[in-house]
Amino acid sequence: MNVSARNNVRINGSGEKAMVFAHGFGCDQNMWRFVEPAFRNSFRTVLFDHVGAGGSDLSKYDPVKYGSLSGYADDLIEIGRELDLKDAVFVGHSVSAMIGILASLKAPGLFSSLVLVGPSARYIDDGDYRGGFSANQIEELLEFLEANHMGWSAQMAPAIMGNADRPELGEELTNSFCRTDPDIAKHFARVTFTSDNRDDLAKVTTPTLVLQCSEDIIASTEVGEYVQRRIPGSKLVILNATGHCPNLSAPDEVIAAMRAFV
Amino acid sequence: MKSSRRCAPLSELTPSVPASSIIEDLEDLYENAPCGYLSLEPGGRIFKVNKTLCNWTGYGPEELLGKRLHHLLNIAGRMFYETHIAPLLRMQGFFHEVALDLVTAKGDLLPMIVNAAERRDSEGKPISTRITFLRATERRRYERELLDARDQSRSQEAAARASLTSERETSELREQFIAVLGHDLRNPLASISAGARILLRKPKDETETKVLQMMETTVLRMAGLIDNVLDFARGRLGGGITLSRNADTSIEPVLQQVVDELRTAMPDRRIESDFRITQPINCDRTRLGQLVSNLLGNALTHGAPDKPVLVRALTDNGMFELSVSNAGEPISAEAMEHLFQPFFRGRVRASLQGLGLGLHIASEIARAHEGTLTVKSDSEETRFTFLMPLRI
Repeated sequence: MNVSARNNVRINGSGEKAMVFAHGFGCDQNMWRFVEPAFRNSFRTVLFDHVGAGGSDLSKYDPVKYGSLSGYADDLIEIGRELDLKDAVFVGHSVSAMIGILASLKAPGLFSSLVLVGPSARYIDDGDYRGGFSANQIEELLEFLEANHMGWSAQMAPAIMGNADRPELGEELTNSFCRTDPDIAKHFARVTFTSDNRDDLAKVTTPTLVLQCSEDIIASTEVGEYVQRRIPGSKLVILNATGHCPNLSAPDEVIAAMRAFV
Repeated sequence: MKSSRRCAPLSELTPSVPASSIIEDLEDLYENAPCGYLSLEPGGRIFKVNKTLCNWTGYGPEELLGKRLHHLLNIAGRMFYETHIAPLLRMQGFFHEVALDLVTAKGDLLPMIVNAAERRDSEGKPISTRITFLRATERRRYERELLDARDQSRSQEAAARASLTSERETSELREQFIAVLGHDLRNPLASISAGARILLRKPKDETETKVLQMMETTVLRMAGLIDNVLDFARGRLGGGITLSRNADTSIEPVLQQVVDELRTAMPDRRIESDFRITQPINCDRTRLGQLVSNLLGNALTHGAPDKPVLVRALTDNGMFELSVSNAGEPISAEAMEHLFQPFFRGRVRASLQGLGLGLHIASEIARAHEGTLTVKSDSEETRFTFLMPLRI
């Protein structure tokens, strides 16, 4: 199996150490377009799309395998093996923060440090734990996703998939960064927003940096602090950036915080 | 060609009204446009909103200024905005045709189609984001119906596929069952028959001979019944009667064997045969053997016991004709109607009662050969005639 093609792996930069960027739920590796180039001088940068997103091979989407974050973590490990990565820096946004943690636990030595941008170990409230959402609200989101195909149509799929490089955005490819087969989007959303990785946090031994945005409705500051508190020896940086995607809205701040850490 | 279809300038179309006399009130266009307008600071706060959007949502402008767009969205919309729309805006500078529900001051949902574009400075930094809202209640309802219809047809298809699969499995199981049953029933019968034949060759008294002959008859009848039952089951389960035709080998020995077998089994009865086959017959020999065996068995059961049964076979006029006739009571008009239907049984004594499949199978064999099986019955004789074309 060609892991690089399956996950649309892109490699840039030079350096002994590798830095692996993983995108979260919603869009694809383009989420890192303002951050990744800043590290090309000192790192071999690795970008990829989760299966189901962006330029990945949709035919490899297996609802059973990707029925839990563990399936995505396995892919991440396979990418690491194929590229012969050791002691790499992992940078994961949103749900990929937990995917990176799972991979670091399954494959010790793969990563020497973890940068978690907007992580959440659980999105749904549970007793005293405040994830930020009720189970009903997550169901609403899943229904909502069905109404929002983002211009997806089965006929368009080959055009989108065959255009992994996307040198220029044609009118045809409008919204393509965040366009996914609606069934896959819904399934990934369910897996993401019903995940619970709170028990995995304490097992992390890799040095970890948590980057937390202000006013993030997906992963609140309280949630970010919880993640930091549970991961032994981890650091928390609260960014001035608002929203859930500082990698896009405040790349300079993200880059600075990452440089200080790695 | 294309150039000739270009739109004519406005002035040419409306010569009586000079274009300069129409002045659009841009302020009014913004405020009262047939769509909602809203502008966001780079930090995501609303700094301008038009009257149309205020009217639709029931908020005054002062209630919206300084708020985030989240203020007008439900939780799902906010999550979608954060995970899809905000990133898209930063990445491609715009988004088109996104379906969002606005939450009004009263809490109602207003389905919208939303476009947005970032206004950027010369360095590409965002100055503001302009968002346009178009109402889409009807369209959303229609899309919802399409989605529901799709889901429904998907689940129906899945159910149909599941039942088809289970039907196939059942049918395969039946096929196997029939094959195994046929094998298991025929084998013991063959050993009984073989045993009876061995005993018939040894010296014995009259009673023993009679008993052994009866056993032969019974075995023969039993074998015929099994064949018929299996054929019927196959036919009903979709297999039908399949033929393996062969024109090179003569049919006569097969017919003779059937007649001989019944003669041996029923020495008290007279079976006369008259075979005049001069041309090759492209037929399934085993099947025609079964057909004649069924007809002959039928004639012996229902015909007058003291009168002979006649089997005739001949080729003539490009046809193969095979008939079995017997004397005795004619078939009643009522029975005539159902003669070839499965499980139809004429009135005979219980010990001779069959399953009522013999004539049905015979007619199916005839049909498979593109031939016909007909009956004529009067006080003189009852005659079944099979007719098939020689060259098919």
